[in-house]
Amino acid sequence: MKKLILTIFCLFLFNSSAKAVVEVDITRGNLDPLPIAVSPLHVALGSIDVKEGEKVIKNIGEKISGVVEINFKRSGLFNPLKKESFVQNPDIAHIKPRFEDWRLIKAQALVTGKVTVTEDKLRVEFRLWDVVAAKEMIALAFSTTPNNWRRVAHIISDKVYQRLTGEEGYFDTRIVYVSETGPKTQRYKKLAIMDQDGANVKYLTLGNELVLTPRFSPTNQLVTYLSYFKNLPRVYLLDIETGVQEVVGDFPGMTFAPRFSPDGKKIIMSFAKDGNSDIYTMNINTRVVEKITEHTSIDTSPSFSPDGKYICFNSDRSGLQQIYVMRSDGSQVKRITFGKGLYGTPVWSPRGDLIAFTKVHKGKFYIGVMRPDGSGERLLTENFYQEAPSWSPNGRVLIFYRETKSDSEGKGFSAKLWSIDLTGYNERLIETETDGSDPSWSSLLSK
Amino acid sequence: MVLETNLRKILVVILASIALTACATQKKAGKMTGDVYTGTDTVEYLATGVRDRVFFATNKSTLTTASRDTLRKQAAWMRKKSSLKFTIEGHADERGTREYNLALGERRANAVKDYLMTYGISGSRLSVISYGKERPVNSGSNPLAWSQNRRSVTVKVD
Amino acid sequence: MTRSIFLSLVFHSAMIILTAISLPFMMRTPVDLPPILSVDLIQITDKTSIPFAAKAAKTLEKIKKEEEERVVSEQAPPTEKKKEKPDRIPLPDDLNKEKKEIVKKKQNPKEIKDEIRQASEFEKEELFDPNQIAALIDKSKEDTAQTLKKDNKITQSNVKTSFAKGLTLSQEDALKAQIFGCWSLPLGLPYHKNLLVRIKLKLKADGTVLKSEILDHARMNQPGQGFYKVLAESALRAIRICQPLRVPPTGYEKWKDLQLNFDANEMLKG
Repeated sequence: MKKLILTIFCLFLFNSSAKAVVEVDITRGNLDPLPIAVSPLHVALGSIDVKEGEKVIKNIGEKISGVVEINFKRSGLFNPLKKESFVQNPDIAHIKPRFEDWRLIKAQALVTGKVTVTEDKLRVEFRLWDVVAAKEMIALAFSTTPNNWRRVAHIISDKVYQRLTGEEGYFDTRIVYVSETGPKTQRYKKLAIMDQDGANVKYLTLGNELVLTPRFSPTNQLVTYLSYFKNLPRVYLLDIETGVQEVVGDFPGMTFAPRFSPDGKKIIMSFAKDGNSDIYTMNINTRVVEKITEHTSIDTSPSFSPDGKYICFNSDRSGLQQIYVMRSDGSQVKRITFGKGLYGTPVWSPRGDLIAFTKVHKGKFYIGVMRPDGSGERLLTENFYQEAPSWSPNGRVLIFYRETKSDSEGKGFSAKLWSIDLTGYNERLIETETDGSDPSWSSLLSK
Repeated sequence: MVLETNLRKILVVILASIALTACATQKKAGKMTGDVYTGTDTVEYLATGVRDRVFFATNKSTLTTASRDTLRKQAAWMRKKSSLKFTIEGHADERGTREYNLALGERRANAVKDYLMTYGISGSRLSVISYGKERPVNSGSNPLAWSQNRRSVTVKVD
Repeated sequence: MTRSIFLSLVFHSAMIILTAISLPFMMRTPVDLPPILSVDLIQITDKTSIPFAAKAAKTLEKIKKEEEERVVSEQAPPTEKKKEKPDRIPLPDDLNKEKKEIVKKKQNPKEIKDEIRQASEFEKEELFDPNQIAALIDKSKEDTAQTLKKDNKITQSNVKTSFAKGLTLSQEDALKAQIFGCWSLPLGLPYHKNLLVRIKLKLKADGTVLKSEILDHARMNQPGQGFYKVLAESALRAIRICQPLRVPPTGYEKWKDLQLNFDANEMLKG
C-alpha cells in the first residue's frame, strides 16, 4: 500500500515538472451523412416567373433548393433535413440565421440564398453556414439566363460539396447514354443525354440504326460513338450543339469502342481487320492515323490515363480477357490482372489513382477498382449482369448499367443505369424514361 | 394402413424424380456438345440440306467438325450460284462485355469467311458484319439460349 | 420432343403435389429481430485499477528514463521522407489551357464577385483565416520536431496517459465514448493518407472549452491537403457539439490541458 501511494506521489511530481498534456485518441466517429439544412431560396420582390419553353415555373426559390437537396441526398454524403421543421423564413435566414433554431433540428450546416429574376437575367446569391461554429463558410453569387436555373443549383451543390468534403463536386455534369426500347431480339437504340440528376433529357439520334457505347469529349461539346448507319459499323463524331454527325476516318472495316484522349485531340478506338481487332488513334484535325497495338489477339476498350502518357486496354492475348497497361505509343505492354475470372472495360480514373473494370467469374458480373499496377483489387458490387463503369469527374462515383434475366420470350428483360460510390456504398438506380445502357459521364460543364 | 400409404407415396416420389432426371439429360444430350449448340431449332436453310449457320463455344471462334461440314455444303451451293453475294454475320451471347463481344463476333464471322474462301468462294462475294450481343435469336437467360446465340449466319444479299 | 416435355410436366406436378401433402409442413415464420443498439457500458473509477501494482514502479522508472532520453533526441532536425506514390500520375498544367481554346462556352452561369461579402452579419474572424497562418507558423515550427515524433507514437502515449497523466483508463474511455458519438466523419475523405488532426484544448472545470487550437495548422493550406481542413473542421464541430465534455468531477489540474487526436484512418480503411 505504501509503495502505491509513493508511486502516485511521484506521478504528480513528474507530471508538473514535464508540463505534459493529457492526450486522448479519437479513432471512431459515426459515418452517417452530414445533416444539412437547405433553406428554400428567398425570391426577391419584383421577380417574374421563370419560363421554360411554354411551362411557367412558380416558386423558383424552392425549385432551386429542391435540386440542391436531391443532389445532396443522392451523393450519400449529406442528409438534407425536412423543410417542415425549418423555423426561420428564407429571407431572414439568408442575412442573419438564428443558429440556435437550426441547431435544434440537429443541422450542422445550412444553405441559404436569394434569387432575383428579370426578363433576361436570373441572379442567385447563396451562403453556406457552419451552424455549430455559428459562422459563414461560403458566400457567392451567380447570374445567368432564367432558363439556365438548374445549372446554378448544380454549381451551388458543387461549391458546398467541395467546402464540406475537400473534393471537387460532380453535380454540374451531364451523362450521355443509349436509350433502349423494344424486344430483346431487336432493340431500338437512340443516343440520349441528360443532366446527372436525370433532368433535361434530349435524344440525339432517331433510332433508325443501332448506336452503341457513346463517350464525351473532355470539352463536353462532342460525343463519339459506334453507329450501324447503312449497316456499316463505324465510329462517328457528333457535335451536341449543332447535331452534325461525321464518320471518323476512312477505315475499310469495323471501328468500335471509341474514346477521346484527355486533351480532346484524338480518338482512340479498335479497328477490326480480317477478324483481328487492334487499337488505333486518329487525330481529329489532321486525320493522321496511328496503329498502337500489333497483335493477333483482340485488343479493345482502350482508356487513356489523365496525363495522356499511358493507355489501359482489354486484350485476350493470354487466352482470356485481361487488362493491360502500355505507354501511349504502344510500347511496354504490361499485363496487370492475374486474378481468377475475366476482366474487361478498363477505365482510368480522372484522378489517375485507380482503374475501374468489369470482372466475370463463375457466372457473376462484378464492378471493381484496382491501382494502375494491378494491385489492391476491390470489388464493389455483384450482379447477374452489369458492366462498363464510367467515372464522375472527381473520381469518386462510378456509373454503369445492369441487365436482368429474361425468359425465352424476352419477358422480364430490362436494362437500367446504376451508380455506386467508390467506397462501395450508396448503390443507386438512376431513373430514366426508357431503359438505358452504356452510360458515360461528362467532365464539369463550367470548366 | 398408415405405413402402406406412406410407402406408396414414397415410391411415387422416387419414380417421379427418376422420370424428371431422364428428361433433363435428354435435353442436354440432344442439343449441345460441350458448349456448342448442335440442334436445329433456330437453323434456317439457304437451300435444301444447306444450313445457314454454325455455332461456337463460349469465348471461342474455332470451327467444330459439324460446323466445317455445314460450311462445305454452303460453299458447294455458293459455287453453283455464282452471281450471288453474301453477308456473314458474327454474333455472341450476352455473358460478356459489349465491346469484346463485338470483336468476338467479328472474329467468328471471319473464321467462317476464311473457311469458305479455302473452298473456292471469292472474298469479293463475302462481306462480314459483327453484331456482338445485339441481335440474339433466343431471348432466354440460360445456357441453351446462349449456345443458340453464339453463331455465325450466312445471309444472302438481295 | 413435345412428348418428353409433357411427361416431364406431369411428373413434375405430381411430385410437387405429393411433396405438399406428404412431407411435414416446415414453414417457420421469420423472426423479426429488433435493430441492435450498441451500448457502451463504462464504469468510472477514480483510480485506474491495475492488477500488478508491484510492477508499476519498475515500469514507471523505465518510462521516466525513456522520456529523458527522448527529450534530447527530439532536438535533432526532422528528416521527413516524402512518401513515393508510384501509382499517382500528376496532371500536366497545359491541359487546362488547351481546353479553353477549343470550347466556345455557352451559358455558363457567371460568378459575381465582391458583392455579397458585406451583407452578412457574421463576418467573424475565422479560425482558418489565412492572415493568421503566418503568426501560427512560427509556433508550429517549434512543435514540428516534437510532434513529428509523436505522430508515430500514438500507442505509446496511451500508456503514458494512464500511468503518468491525469485521466484513468475508464475516465478516458468515458470521454472517448462521448466524442465518438459527436464526431461526424466527413465521408469524402481520401484513402491511405495521413488523416490525423490534433486539437489542443483548454478546459473549464465543468467541461466547457475555453480555447481550442489545431496543431499542424500549416497543413490547412497546403496544396493537395484540402481534405485536412475539412477533417479539422469536422473535429472542431464534434468538440463543440459535445460540450460540456465528459470530464472527471475532480482533479481539474490534471486534465485542464487536453489534447484530442482525431484519427480517421481506422474507420476509413474499409
